[in-house]
Amino acid sequence: MKSTARSYRNLILFSAPAFVVYAGFLVIPLIASVVLSFMDSDSGPTSVFVGFDNYVYLFTNPSTSERFWNALVNNFEFFAVHLIVELPVGLLMAALLTSSTLRRSRGVYRTLLFIPATLSVVIVGFVWRLIINPLWGIVQFPLLGDANTALPTIALMSVWEYVGIPMIFLYTALIAIPDDVLEAAKLDGANAWTTFWRVKFPLIAPQFGLIAILTYIWTFNGFDIVYALNGSAPGPDYSTDILGTLFYRTFFGSSGQVANPDLGATVASVVFFLILIITAIYFAVVQRRLKSYEL
Amino acid sequence: MRSKFAPIAITAAAASLVLVGLAGCSSGGTPSSTDGGGDDVTLTLATWRTEDTAMWEDEIIPAFEASHPGITVEYAPVGTDDYNAAMQSQIEGGTGADLIMCRPFDVNRAWIEDGYFEPLAGTDAVKSFDETALAAWTDVDGNPFCVPIASVLAGFYYNTAIFDELGLKVPTTQAEFIDVLGTIKDSGKYTPLALGSADGWQLAYNVLYSMGPNYWKGEDGRLGLIDGTQKLTDPDFVAAFQAFADLKPYLPDGYESLTYEDMMQLFTLGKAAIIPDGSWDISAATATGLDVDVFGAPVAEAGDQRYQQEMPDQGIGMNAKSTHKEAAQEFLDWLATPEFQSLYVNKLPGFFSMGTEAVTYDNELAQKFADLKTDAKLTPRLALDRLSAGTPPLDDEIWVALQNMYNSGLSAEDATAELQAGLDSWYKPAQ
Amino acid sequence: MTSLNKPSRADAGGRLVVHVALILFVIVAIGPIIIVVMNSLKTTPGIFNGPFVPPTAETFNLDGWANVFKRGNFALNYGNSIIVTLVSTLLTLVLSTLAAFAITEYKVRLAPLLAGFFIIGIMLPIRLGTVPILQTMVAWHLVDTLVALILVYTAMSLPLAIALMATFFRRVPTELKEAAKIDGAGELRTLSIVLPLVRPGLAAVASVTMLPIWNDLWFPLILAPSKENQTVTLGVQQFVGQFQSDYPALLAALTLGALPLVILFTVFSRNFIQGLSQGYGK
Repeated sequence: MKSTARSYRNLILFSAPAFVVYAGFLVIPLIASVVLSFMDSDSGPTSVFVGFDNYVYLFTNPSTSERFWNALVNNFEFFAVHLIVELPVGLLMAALLTSSTLRRSRGVYRTLLFIPATLSVVIVGFVWRLIINPLWGIVQFPLLGDANTALPTIALMSVWEYVGIPMIFLYTALIAIPDDVLEAAKLDGANAWTTFWRVKFPLIAPQFGLIAILTYIWTFNGFDIVYALNGSAPGPDYSTDILGTLFYRTFFGSSGQVANPDLGATVASVVFFLILIITAIYFAVVQRRLKSYEL
Repeated sequence: MRSKFAPIAITAAAASLVLVGLAGCSSGGTPSSTDGGGDDVTLTLATWRTEDTAMWEDEIIPAFEASHPGITVEYAPVGTDDYNAAMQSQIEGGTGADLIMCRPFDVNRAWIEDGYFEPLAGTDAVKSFDETALAAWTDVDGNPFCVPIASVLAGFYYNTAIFDELGLKVPTTQAEFIDVLGTIKDSGKYTPLALGSADGWQLAYNVLYSMGPNYWKGEDGRLGLIDGTQKLTDPDFVAAFQAFADLKPYLPDGYESLTYEDMMQLFTLGKAAIIPDGSWDISAATATGLDVDVFGAPVAEAGDQRYQQEMPDQGIGMNAKSTHKEAAQEFLDWLATPEFQSLYVNKLPGFFSMGTEAVTYDNELAQKFADLKTDAKLTPRLALDRLSAGTPPLDDEIWVALQNMYNSGLSAEDATAELQAGLDSWYKPAQ
Repeated sequence: MTSLNKPSRADAGGRLVVHVALILFVIVAIGPIIIVVMNSLKTTPGIFNGPFVPPTAETFNLDGWANVFKRGNFALNYGNSIIVTLVSTLLTLVLSTLAAFAITEYKVRLAPLLAGFFIIGIMLPIRLGTVPILQTMVAWHLVDTLVALILVYTAMSLPLAIALMATFFRRVPTELKEAAKIDGAGELRTLSIVLPLVRPGLAAVASVTMLPIWNDLWFPLILAPSKENQTVTLGVQQFVGQFQSDYPALLAALTLGALPLVILFTVFSRNFIQGLSQGYGK
C-alpha cells in the first residue's frame, strides 16, 4: 500500500499544470467579474459595495424581472427541444452506426453526419434562414416571425448543427462494450431491438445521462445561434430571448442600449447557480443510480 | 476617470500573481507590439463599418498618409453587433485602438462618462462644426469628444420602371401614399412595400422615425419628450404610430420573418415597388442596375411642413489611453478638413457631410437624398438621445412595439400607452 | 465488430433498413451545406430567384470567389487558426489526461474536491470573465499573441476534458494497474500502460475541444485582433459585413472558413476513432 503522502504528492504534481491554466485563465477572472454583481458603479464616482441590491433589483424591477423570467422560460423550452429531439436522434444515429451490418461505409457515414457540428453558427443561421424563408424557401409560414414557432425553429436549427456530438459520445460508448457481453446476448436468441434496449442501453446509460446533463448546461449557457439569427434583442417580442442573450445585452449593451456590467454580472451569476443546482441534483440523484449498472 | 471595472482590475492583478507563484517560471513574455524606432507611428482606427474597408484602405487612408509622412493608419473593423462589446472590453482591459468610432448619443455619453475619450474642446478637429453637428457626441455639459464624420438620411426608394408602368406619381401626402400602395397591390404584379418585421430596428429607424416627424413636428415632439412637456400618448404621437400601422396591408406575405437583407433582395429583384430604407443602402439598392429614385416621408395633409430625418451616424474620437496622442490628434484634425469631408462622402455615397461648408455629391441618388433636406426641417431619430439611457431603453422598446403592431395587431393607442409607461418608470425629464 | 454468421435474408433486410435510415440522415445533414457551396457559384439574383437550383449557364458566376481571394488573407488566417486549434487541443489532451489520471488513481481526500473544482468549470459562462482575462493578458504582455488565445481555450476546454477522461480512467480494470505496479512500474509508466485503453476518451475529448475553438469569434476579437493574428472565423466575420449585398462572396467566404475544420475532422476521425476497437484487445 502506498503512503498517503506520496499519493498527495503525485496528485498535486499531475494535476498542477491543468490547475494553473484553469484557475488562472478561467476561474479567477470569472470570480473577478462576479464581484461586479455586488457593486454599484453607476451612481457615484467610485464603485461601492451594495450587497445583494442588484439581485433584488433584477427580481423586483418590473421591466428587468419580466425580461428575466421570459428568458428563463424560453431557455427551458430551448433545452426541452434538445432533450426531446437531439438526444433520441443522436442515440438512433449511434445505434445505426454500430449496426453489425455496416462495414467500410461506417466511417463515411460517421464523418458525414458529424460535419454540421464543425460549422460556425453563421453558416447555420444563414442557410436555414434561406431554406425556410417564406419568399424563396420551401415553407410558406413565417416560422421565424411568429412568436409561437420562432424559438422551437431556432432550437431545431441548433439540434441540426449539434446532433453529431451526442452521436459521437454514444457511439464511442457503444463501441466500447466488450464483444463477449454481446455474444452472450446473441446466444440467448435476442433480436437486435431487444439486445439494444436490454443489454446495450443499460450499459451506456451513464453516458446517456452525462450527455443529457451536458445538453442542459450547454443550452443554459447557449447564445451563439440565437445571436447569429436575431441579434441581442431577439424577437419577435422577445420570444427567442434566452439567458445568454439577456446577459450579453445587459452586460455589454447594444447599439442603442447602454451597458450595465453590474446587472449583467448579476444575471450571469443567477444563471450559473441555476445550472449548478440542477446539475448537482442530477449527480446526487440520477447518475449515482445509473452507475450501479456499470460493469 | 472612473471605471466600471475598477474592482476587477485588482483581482486580475491578483490572478497574475497566483499564476507567477504557481508556475514559478521565468517567462518574461514578449512585449506587446510597440512602434519601431524613429518617429514612425502606427495608429489603429476601430470602426463598425466593415463594409467600408476597401474605401478606407484604398482611398482615404492613403490620402492622409501622403500628407502626413511618418504616420500609418490601420483600419480595424469589427462587426456592428459586436462593436460595443469589443470596444468596452478592450478599453476597460487597458488596450483598444488609438482612434475609436463613436456611436451617437446615449451609448457614447456613457463611454465619455467612463473616461474612454480624450476631450476635443478647443482643438482644430471640432472648430469647423456647429453645435448641432457636435451634439450627438458631447458630454452632459456640451463638451465635444468626437469629430462628426457623417450623417445618414431616411427615405423611400422606389423602382421607377414599376411607377411608370402603373402610371404612378410620387406621393406627397399620406393619403396619396396609401393610394399609390393600393394601386400597386391591385395590379397584382408587385409587392407594394418591401418591408418585413423580423428586424425591429429598421421598423423604427427607417419607417416610424422617418414618417413620424411629420406628425410630432420633428424637434418639437422629440425635445418635448425629453423635457417632459409632451408624452407618447399625445394625439400627434398616436397619429404617427397609426400612420405606421396603416402600411400593414401592403406588406408581402410572410413579412413576419422577412429580414432587412431579404427586403433589399425583394426590391432589387424588381419584385417590390417601394422600400423604406436609409441612405447608406444606396449601393445595395442600385447593385443590380435597377433604375431607382427616392422620395421623402409624405406629410399628413397637403400643405403641411415637411420634416426629414437626418441622423448623426458616425464620429471618431481618441482613446484616452492611446500612446500616440499627437499623431491621433493630427488625424482627427485632418478629418475636419474639406479634403477629407468631400473625399469621404463621394467615396461612400449615402453618407453626408456634417461640416458647415457645402459639399456636392457625385452620386446622383446621393444628391437626390441630399435634396430631400432643402424644403424640410431636420430631426434625428426619436428615442436615442437621453430616452434610452435607462431600463427599459425607449429605443429598444419601440422596436418591439412596432413588431407587435404588425405581427399581433397591437393598436397605436395601446403601443404608445405601454411605451410611455415604460419610460415613466425610470425617466426624469431634464427640466 | 464482425459477425461470423453467413448473411441470412433477415440480415439483408436489416442491412437495407440501416442504410436507408443513415442515408436519410446524411441528406438532412449535408443538403444545407451543399446549398451553401452551390449558391456561392451563382449570381445574387440567381441565388434568390431559385436557391435550390444548381447554377445554370445564366446564373453561374465565380465573382464571389474572386472577390474573397482578392481581399481575404486566407493563407495567414488558416495558419493562425490551425496553430491555435491544434496547440490548444493538444495541450488540453495532455493536461486533462494527467489530471484525470491523478484524480482517479490517487484516492486521497483532496481528489474528489479537486475533481469538483474542475467540473464546476463546465458550467461557467466564460464571456463574463472577458475583461479580467484581458487584464491578465496585458499584465503578462500576451495581448495580441496567439499564446493568449491558446491559454484561454485550454482553460476553457479543460473542465469537460477532465470530466470525460475521468470516466474513461475509472473504467480501466484495476488488475491491470496493479499488475503494472507489481512489475515495479513508476507512475508515468503506469499511465503509459493505461493510456491505450482510454483512447476513445482522447478521441472524444479532441473532437469536442476542437469545434468551439475553431469557430470562436469572441476571444480572437478581444485578445488578438490585429491582422497578423487574425483567425479564420474572425476574418470571415469581417467579410460578412463587408459583403452585405455580395451574397456569392459571403457564401464563398463561409465555405472557405469551414473547409479546414471539416478536413481536419475527417483526417482525425480516421486516425483516432477508427482505431478505437483495437484499444479493447479484441
